[in-house]
Amino acid sequence: MSENTASQNEPKALPRVSPATDILEREDGFYVYMDIPGVRRGDLSIDINENELTVTGRALQGAAEKESFLEVQFGPGEYVRAVSLSDRVDRERITASLKDGVLTLHLPRLEKLAPRRIPVLSA
Amino acid sequence: MVLDFNTIYYPGRFERLIEDFFKPQPGEGRRMAFPPLNVSEDEANYYVRSEVPGMAMDAVELTLTEKSLVIRGERPTEQGKYYRQERPAGFFQRVVALNVPVDRDKVRATLTDGVLTVVLPKCEGAAPKKISIDVA
Repeated sequence: MSENTASQNEPKALPRVSPATDILEREDGFYVYMDIPGVRRGDLSIDINENELTVTGRALQGAAEKESFLEVQFGPGEYVRAVSLSDRVDRERITASLKDGVLTLHLPRLEKLAPRRIPVLSA
Repeated sequence: MVLDFNTIYYPGRFERLIEDFFKPQPGEGRRMAFPPLNVSEDEANYYVRSEVPGMAMDAVELTLTEKSLVIRGERPTEQGKYYRQERPAGFFQRVVALNVPVDRDKVRATLTDGVLTVVLPKCEGAAPKKISIDVA
């Protein structure tokens, strides 16, 4: 709790928080839901690096200066979470949406590759 | 003496342990009751803030009774085959006891980006008054 109040004075040193995440599979692919309340769309970035998808977002939760806190159970923070991607995910068609503090990632499955016969060459 | 590193040992095990230690953790206090609450005050108002991600304003039920503010709602569960479930789901309710009089007609609530803010203005009469003592 003391960390939260300290970080309000220095906005640069935000505590890093791992957001609560649901990963589930449906017929049209994988879905990832992350609870990132307080993060605006501009403060959110999603990067894919090889097999890892990283979500980073800042929740600043601005409070007026004169407020004195009676109870603190959450505070400003930087949400960081990495999800590893399976080979079956089509990286080109990943979509993300942010609504009411929940980030939804849709990871569609790769279309099945058409079967192909490999010709055998005689030496 | 032969050191037998069997299947329990694999290279990088201790490095991983140290890496895990520095990874971002769920915040302190975030494992408490859902949703987490912040209560603060300034000269004019009390503020109750709460993180309720995924809830629309009409899905959050706010009740102001004589002595308490009740935040209630239900978080829906997504349909599908779960590989990992960390987000709390289901009914929730939190009660904030109000030991001070508030101006009930001017209470406002807003919900932006999953953060609920309830502003409870203090009653005029509740503001501290200075009483001057006349010297007899």
